[in-house]
Amino acid sequence: MFTHTPLRLTTLALLAAGSLSYAYAAGFFGLEILAEIATLAILVIALDLVAGFGGMVSLCHGALLGVGAYVFTVAANDAGLTALPAMVLAVVLSSALAFAIGAVCARSTGIYFIMATLAFGQMAYSYVFQSPLFGGDDGLSGAPRPDLTAIGIDLTDSRAFAVYAILLVAFAYLVAARTLRSGLGRSLVGLHHNEKRLRALGLTVWRAKASAFAISGALAALAGCLAAQHTQYVSPGLLSWTVSGEALVVVILGGLGTLTGPIVGAILFVVLKHEISAITPYWHAIVGIILITVVMSRAKGVFGFIESRWDDRGAKTVAKEAEADA
Amino acid sequence: MTADLGFWVLQTLNALQLSMLLFLLSVGLTVIFGLMHFVNLAHGSLYAFGAYVAATLAGTFGYWGGLLVAPLAVAALGAVLYLTLIRSQRRAGPMAQVLITFGLIFVAVDATRLVWGDLPIGIAVPAILDSQIALLGVEYPAYRLFIIALGLCVLAALTLILTRTQIGAMIRAGVDNDQMAACLGINVERMFFLVFVVGCALAGLAGAVAAPVLSVTPDMGLQILIPTLIVIVIGGLGSLKGAVAGSLIFGFVQTFGAVLLPTLSSVLIYALLAAVLVTRPQGLLPAKG
Repeated sequence: MFTHTPLRLTTLALLAAGSLSYAYAAGFFGLEILAEIATLAILVIALDLVAGFGGMVSLCHGALLGVGAYVFTVAANDAGLTALPAMVLAVVLSSALAFAIGAVCARSTGIYFIMATLAFGQMAYSYVFQSPLFGGDDGLSGAPRPDLTAIGIDLTDSRAFAVYAILLVAFAYLVAARTLRSGLGRSLVGLHHNEKRLRALGLTVWRAKASAFAISGALAALAGCLAAQHTQYVSPGLLSWTVSGEALVVVILGGLGTLTGPIVGAILFVVLKHEISAITPYWHAIVGIILITVVMSRAKGVFGFIESRWDDRGAKTVAKEAEADA
Repeated sequence: MTADLGFWVLQTLNALQLSMLLFLLSVGLTVIFGLMHFVNLAHGSLYAFGAYVAATLAGTFGYWGGLLVAPLAVAALGAVLYLTLIRSQRRAGPMAQVLITFGLIFVAVDATRLVWGDLPIGIAVPAILDSQIALLGVEYPAYRLFIIALGLCVLAALTLILTRTQIGAMIRAGVDNDQMAACLGINVERMFFLVFVVGCALAGLAGAVAAPVLSVTPDMGLQILIPTLIVIVIGGLGSLKGAVAGSLIFGFVQTFGAVLLPTLSSVLIYALLAAVLVTRPQGLLPAKG
């Protein structure tokens, strides 16, 4: 079950303080990277919610992100909505799509679930790739950023945008944490451990799975809106299954099922990508080798590793105290 | 257009050619899954490696040399992968397998870029097959007929081996229940290794055969992966019949979809896959009843 351990809260506080002070101090390039990290962080929070806690390993989260980005762009450019209503529309529509996908896939488990989500994701990808409404393989440009000049904030400035992106990550985290502590979140973890038992207890399994998937899809769409606002351009590549695969890689490298770990993973992944790709064009190979090593060693990712060491230390202290008492 | 018999013959041949290529790829993947419960996303990369080996050797040994050596080279690579990565991850669950083989794709794509560069490599169709054959009123490239024939030969050989020989019976027993098969004295470990290597060799053969038709690029493995996965999921993971049915369904839906319903063609196959998964989550012809 999901709990806020002191280690997690401390890490989150450090991350928030660190990223905000970095946003205050960094130059243009640093701020761009910060916005990129924020987008990926929201996507992996969404994925960890279903994959880490519910055991629903999805390969369609890239597509959900892409649908969010496209709906946002089309609603703002062609339907004449301002940025905030367009974001709400994008999140609601992607969430509905995710609910449908979750409901259809609820019966499958394991590799079949992975394949089914892959199929739905690729379906959305192929549709957008050839649809004239969505600009086909050229993509669409001109997604606006929200206009907050009324409260004295200009989001076209990259420093203000980076802070806005960090706040969206915090919002996404709170939504995910709140969901996991609700009845739905507890059922989700229960389903992961023993689906038959929850069914016997009277839970409507497909509805619980689909609802969790819908919340996750809403967060993925939020990441999509942020991506569209950041680069002000959307392309079908956002929906590709490799985006989902990469998000899964980040969740694993950070620490599956910890919610904090994937955020750490997102920071490491984006920074490593920029550092390694500056040295060699073959940075994917290096990511691949790191991934294989982490999975083969059965480590629970960077944050998972720290967490288990921390717990060991805690357990040893308790044992020592018990010895001293005796 | 559609009233003309020649059109139907031509498109049927195109569909068959695509089906046979996918069959060569998916049969290895599906039997590996059925027997070992292992999901190998890097199967497409093995196919790409086969294509590169064939393209490289075609310059010195000619096309036939490449076609002969490519499966052997890919089988050797498969043996190395099996001993280093795959054997230890067999019981690790689908997520670990998906991730490890996803990592392998990253490594494979960059390794091919490093060795062969980013530019597509083309190889010529062998002289003996570089002609058109008249068939039911249409002119069809001989090389593409060769692909269909080769696919049918492999299908016939595999059917014979799986249904008529002792090793085939052992493999079927392993797919059904590997622990029981081991109790009956079958060396399941050795059989896993053998099946994995043969599956890799078939992927290499598919790559070598496809090389003259498609251009050989670093991401060709990634492009073929999704169709291959669709084939085995529609057909049913682990079954030879399923791989045949899935390949034919994919080949025909894709080919005829592209000419008859061009606006829907790319979504059509995914919609079909979704429909199969909803109504029959185990695929159309699953390995176990």
